[in-house]
Amino acid sequence: MKLVRSRLFTALVCLLVVAFAAWGQADVNAAKAEGKVTFYANITAIEPVLAAFASTYGFNAEYVRVATDKFIPTVLTEFQAGKLLADVVQGPLPILQILKDQGVLGSYVSPNASLYPEWALDEDGVIQLFGIEYVCILYNTELLAAHEVPTSYLDLANPKWRDKLLMPDPTVHATTISWLVALKEEVFESEADWVQWLRGIAANRPLYVASFGPTPDPIARGERVLGISMPKYIITKAPAPLGWANVTEGLFGSPRAIAIVKNPRHPEAAKLFIDFWLSDVSMKLLADKVGEYVLYEGIYPPVSGIDQTVVRPIRDLSDEEIQTWSQFFAGIFK
Amino acid sequence: MNARGWLRGAVPPRTLFVAALILVVASLTVGPVVMLLLGSFSRGLGALGTFTLAKYIAAYSDPSLPRVLLNTVLFTLGSALFSTVLGTFLAYLSVRTNIPLKRAFSILPLIPMMFPHVLFAAAWIILLNPTNGILNQWLRVLLGTSWGPLNIYSLGGMIFLEGLLDLPVTFMVISPALYSFDISLEEASRVSGASNVRTLMKITLPMLRPAILAAFMLAVIRSLAAFAVPQMIGIPGRIQVLTTYVYRVISVGWSPDYGRAAALGVIVLVSAISLILLYRYLTSASERFVTVTGKGFRPTVVNLGRLRYLFFGIVAVLFCVLIVIPALTLGYMSFLPYTVMPGSRALTLFSLANWNAVLQDRIAIRSIGNTALLAVGGATLGVLLSVFIAYVLVKTKGRATSLLDSLVFLSFSFPGLIIGVGFMWFLIRTPIYATLWALLVAYIGTYLPYGVRPLTSAFIQVHHDLEDSSRVCGAGFLGTLRRVTVPLIAPGVLSAWVLMAAMFVRELSVSAVLARPGSEVLSVQIMRYAYDGLWGRVSALGILMIGLSASLVIVANIVKGRLSSVN
Repeated sequence: MKLVRSRLFTALVCLLVVAFAAWGQADVNAAKAEGKVTFYANITAIEPVLAAFASTYGFNAEYVRVATDKFIPTVLTEFQAGKLLADVVQGPLPILQILKDQGVLGSYVSPNASLYPEWALDEDGVIQLFGIEYVCILYNTELLAAHEVPTSYLDLANPKWRDKLLMPDPTVHATTISWLVALKEEVFESEADWVQWLRGIAANRPLYVASFGPTPDPIARGERVLGISMPKYIITKAPAPLGWANVTEGLFGSPRAIAIVKNPRHPEAAKLFIDFWLSDVSMKLLADKVGEYVLYEGIYPPVSGIDQTVVRPIRDLSDEEIQTWSQFFAGIFK
Repeated sequence: MNARGWLRGAVPPRTLFVAALILVVASLTVGPVVMLLLGSFSRGLGALGTFTLAKYIAAYSDPSLPRVLLNTVLFTLGSALFSTVLGTFLAYLSVRTNIPLKRAFSILPLIPMMFPHVLFAAAWIILLNPTNGILNQWLRVLLGTSWGPLNIYSLGGMIFLEGLLDLPVTFMVISPALYSFDISLEEASRVSGASNVRTLMKITLPMLRPAILAAFMLAVIRSLAAFAVPQMIGIPGRIQVLTTYVYRVISVGWSPDYGRAAALGVIVLVSAISLILLYRYLTSASERFVTVTGKGFRPTVVNLGRLRYLFFGIVAVLFCVLIVIPALTLGYMSFLPYTVMPGSRALTLFSLANWNAVLQDRIAIRSIGNTALLAVGGATLGVLLSVFIAYVLVKTKGRATSLLDSLVFLSFSFPGLIIGVGFMWFLIRTPIYATLWALLVAYIGTYLPYGVRPLTSAFIQVHHDLEDSSRVCGAGFLGTLRRVTVPLIAPGVLSAWVLMAAMFVRELSVSAVLARPGSEVLSVQIMRYAYDGLWGRVSALGILMIGLSASLVIVANIVKGRLSSVN
């Protein structure tokens, strides 16, 4: 009897999930009638996904690349004036969390959400995580022999890297600040060890750049031998002599998120776009062409060894925390 | 008598005209600045909130600010001085002397204006980074050192690059003044026994004071707002100036406080307005600078003798540094998948992949059309407005003109990083938001000084006798302006047009915030590629951008050549 009851319960849950998904699912014909979808995003180089969407459904996803520092002001200003052009927004999780708190986002659970880890969807069905902006030690494969490649983050403080290291400015770049703080929490046993490690890196006089975008070029052309960067550049910069250090601690990064806005101008097209974005076709394109680390099970970027490592999402830092750590780093990385 | 009749009778037409002009300029420039100032006094992240001084206290109590301000002063004055001296030198050589290939030299200084600044800086990093910069490697072989010897990541490097990038502005402001130069004063000097050099120092340069000051002032304000060089050179060199400091304020955290950034921008605004007042004071006796009278004004050519080849050599080297090296670097990078040092390996990697990617990008193609439209339409409307403004500034004195002069600089004086947000806060309340019209309005509102300054210095040189004669012959105000004054300052009009058009082609700070689907522009597309470090595509699109600017400059120069020629 107990078994029958349990099976009945499971069947009911499955039915509800299917019904919920079917209720929320995009109406393709209605989406086509709407004719377009506008997508504000922080992620770059996604043209292959947009092209695939257009060729599949016969209408365009209009992509507006909004820089991180202008994301909140742009979306909030438009929203508050009743002129939000975006139907779908994509950005780092903390940005979408702020937009959610401000009431900008709507709720939509794509049928494809089930293909992602359970923790990738927030409890209200508003924000869906689909990838991790993973950070690594990137190095020049021609200037560094295999045995010299760091095997741990701790190696970055080794004085042998003096004037050979590069990183985004740790007093300004929010993702780097969050990443360094995540290492404190995930890798180091004590804060004192972590601070000592930071001082070691600072003593190596790293070359600072504004963000991750400018990190791979100085490494590829040998201005610096290694740096804190992203493995995706091995794909987008191919055949540049770039490799990533497969460190024992694994990789960390900020989660990438996507959501529909509240009362979008093109509601069905927006749902259809999110469905497509979360599909295997789209995620494979993101992994293969852009080198993104996606959360879709079984899809990995074609970066050697990346499927064998652990890539973990880092904790969101609030603005206050980022500012506090920024000032703290300013005292170390002078 | 109806209201219009009363207005006509009671208020002189000139006053009405000035009032109307103030209204037009204010509608273009005041809105975004007011929104930013409101934001700086408001709690929260938007433009409107409850009153607070907290953002000013936070902005100005930072102990690192004095150091930032000192760096800013050194960087700004250094690069403005460098570009003004260089601009005057080149303008004089190309307009007034018999240096070989002088026609080419009148166009070449404009080319850096067409380069996307990030690419210009990137090219010089490849050449002069202290680790493996190409020029440094050659110098090391020569000097036998193991590091450096030159370091682009320094204040000197920043001043050098920014000075070169500001050169077109100073050249474009000073050269029209030299075209419209009365020779009688110089002839009098020579008749009195003065040498060419003494005549230059005692007569020519002092007479050019309004133009030189205008050029210096524009260069100072441009350097104050410069971001590409401080970001690409200053951050690695750990040299923070005001723009990178503002960038830090808006970058640390996910929800940037543009109000606090605007509080910092007030320093720049106050500096710019002080400069305008200083300029007006220094050129207040404008009669002293009149060089175009009814007596004929074609300037003579100064014979440099044997020195012409020496100067030619100096200028040729300068142009190699300024144009050939960055242009070659740009072309070279556009054929490579990533930045590779020149050599046999690079040759094996050459391909058209970047060009194919750019030319197949439908948004990139659309952005070329939009950019061309904005450059031609915006520069034409901007210059038309600038002619009226400059005329009023020169020919009318009083508080109203001082107000007009300050209004012209209002949006331009705010750091570019934040003025775009000011325009967004302002234009969101209008129906033109998210259209090309919004960009057009924001471009003209922000870059009006590029039209007004060269025209002001040109108008100063035109004696009022010429206009009086026209009026005596029955022509009205507009008729005199159209038939007499503007043709006399045609080189200045074209300089202003070229400056504005080229600026609009490259404009990023406003476009990055206001461009939306359908109103994309080239600079935003370039930044999209640059964010991902796709320098090959950045270079390919940058070359298309330079091609567009070059076409505009060539057309303008053909027109200029027909309107004025130097004997």
